[in-house]
Amino acid sequence: MFTDGFGTTTQAKLMPWDKIYQLYQELQRYVGWTDDDAKRVGGISELIEPHIVALIDDFYEEIDRHPEASKVITGGAQQVARLKQTLRGWLRDLVAGRYDKDYVSRRWRVGLRHVEIGLSQVFTNAALSRLRRGLLETLERVWTGDAKELLAIRGSLNLLLDLDLAIIEDAYQTEFSQRQQRSDRLAAIGQVAGGVAHELRNPLNVVKTSVYYLLNTRSPAPAKVQQHLERIERQIGLADRVITALSDFARLPVPELHPVSVPLCLKEVLELNPLPTEITVISHYPENLPSVLGDVRQLQIVFSNLVRNARDAMLPQGGSLTITAQPSDGDVEVIIADSGTGIPRENLERIMEPLYSTKARGIGLGLAITRSIIEKHGGGLHVASEPGVGSRFTVRLPAVSG
Amino acid sequence: MISAPHRILVVDDEVDTCANLSDILTDLGFQVDVAYDGPSALKLVKEKTFDVALLDLKMPGMDGLELYRRIKALQSGTVAIVVTAYASSNTANEALAAGAWKILSKPVDPAKLLTLVDEAVEQPVVLIVDDDQDLCESLWDLFRERGYRVCLAHDPFDAVQRLEQRQHHVVLIDMKLPSGSGAEVFRLVRKANPQARTVLVTGLRSEMEQLVEQTLSEGADAACYKPFDIPDLLCTLGRLTKHE
Repeated sequence: MFTDGFGTTTQAKLMPWDKIYQLYQELQRYVGWTDDDAKRVGGISELIEPHIVALIDDFYEEIDRHPEASKVITGGAQQVARLKQTLRGWLRDLVAGRYDKDYVSRRWRVGLRHVEIGLSQVFTNAALSRLRRGLLETLERVWTGDAKELLAIRGSLNLLLDLDLAIIEDAYQTEFSQRQQRSDRLAAIGQVAGGVAHELRNPLNVVKTSVYYLLNTRSPAPAKVQQHLERIERQIGLADRVITALSDFARLPVPELHPVSVPLCLKEVLELNPLPTEITVISHYPENLPSVLGDVRQLQIVFSNLVRNARDAMLPQGGSLTITAQPSDGDVEVIIADSGTGIPRENLERIMEPLYSTKARGIGLGLAITRSIIEKHGGGLHVASEPGVGSRFTVRLPAVSG
Repeated sequence: MISAPHRILVVDDEVDTCANLSDILTDLGFQVDVAYDGPSALKLVKEKTFDVALLDLKMPGMDGLELYRRIKALQSGTVAIVVTAYASSNTANEALAAGAWKILSKPVDPAKLLTLVDEAVEQPVVLIVDDDQDLCESLWDLFRERGYRVCLAHDPFDAVQRLEQRQHHVVLIDMKLPSGSGAEVFRLVRKANPQARTVLVTGLRSEMEQLVEQTLSEGADAACYKPFDIPDLLCTLGRLTKHE
């Protein structure tokens, strides 16, 4: 902690200083800090001043003994000299008796800077503890006044240091999680790019080779020409579906809720996704099944994804797809079970993450979209699976009451 | 010298891709077989001899890398061109390290692909008959690097099978094999691939000298002694195949 300068990136950043100061004031009230405390601490500045150099030297000698802490000091003696200057400023500031918005923003910047240079927060805690001890010992040594007064000053100083630490830590955590989000987002973009590249280049590959054939073949048969044109059209459709899936995911509209009949919705889904003859479909719908409250277009996406996944898990061998719907506790439960390959335990937790896919074809958005839709409906998605036996996806949706 | 139509294997789980490559290559006079997954591709490789294999890298089940490794074990003389939708991928580089010849990225430029296929089928075919597997693998890498297609056989029986599969331009024959002599293999080559040039190889110079001399007089083209003088071996190979 106590690093030099405030890095340029931090300086350029527009920080919500008012909000941060409000937080600080809130914390002051929480620990019971008053103007009397401020006066008490401000009163010792002249006593402490002659000993500041010794405190600082002790502090940096200690850092030298800890490789994890000292590794962030990369600028040699020159940097240490600058750092000592900063620490001197920090200590003077501490006992100056003015704990306003500027004071708080200077404290906050310490936390930001620590994230920038990669100094672990544990060293801030340890460093502050060492400084606290140094300050208190110095105070005790040079104090000539009333013992009761000394006790009160010690109390105020401790409160102040606790508040300093709280604000530095808050800055550290805020900055750290923002950086984490930024790098997560970049990683996600990379993943999307990879998935999209694969899913689009395959259809493009077919289109390109068909075009080549049409342009270069010596007198192709009319049937062949027709075949290639149809192939091009089909592949353009596939490419378009990739883009639709992506934009569906990026901007899923708020569902328009109406009563939806689950058996009817599933019937349409099975018509839209014809299953090969190797797969047998078994459906169980009780007669008194209540309708669910949902957006029929979005629920079709949900069930289409689950049916297609079940199909992919069972091909090429085939198997049976069992669809069951039943009322359950004010909800309707739709269970889609397959007799396919199953999902290994280590993948089970990840299958609903966006961009996670174990298929050779696929960007990995299906289940993520499915779950997102169900959650927007106030429902839930649950999966159970056993490798070699099959998987069972349970969708819970709120039933229309009455 | 070799006039049979060249046979090409196309493997991609995308049916349309296979159909297109098949149409384009068939139109140019190649014999084309397609497979939509690794196991069916391997079945074809066991039945037929392919000059070139066009392999999609990312396929369900067995990927293109694993498939190439298995093809190489069955038919090391097949030149593999790997096609991938990813611009840079570790698996693609692994495929190159495993011996695949070129990587093409999707969408494939058919003109470029055809140039590569033409180049591949023009590469001279060398058959190495030697029971030392490590040596065979080292020579495979070395010759492949210099633009030869390399087939391997480890005994006379193996050699007969290879000779029946295709015409070879040059056959390297180890004079001492576990179940037969190099002289016997030389005669088999004469019978099965009469146009093939032959290089006799031995590490037992004095012991084998008489047999080597005799086989040379029967028409073998050259003799090389182990440990190989590599530049000399490559020079001999280049001379016999007129391959630079």
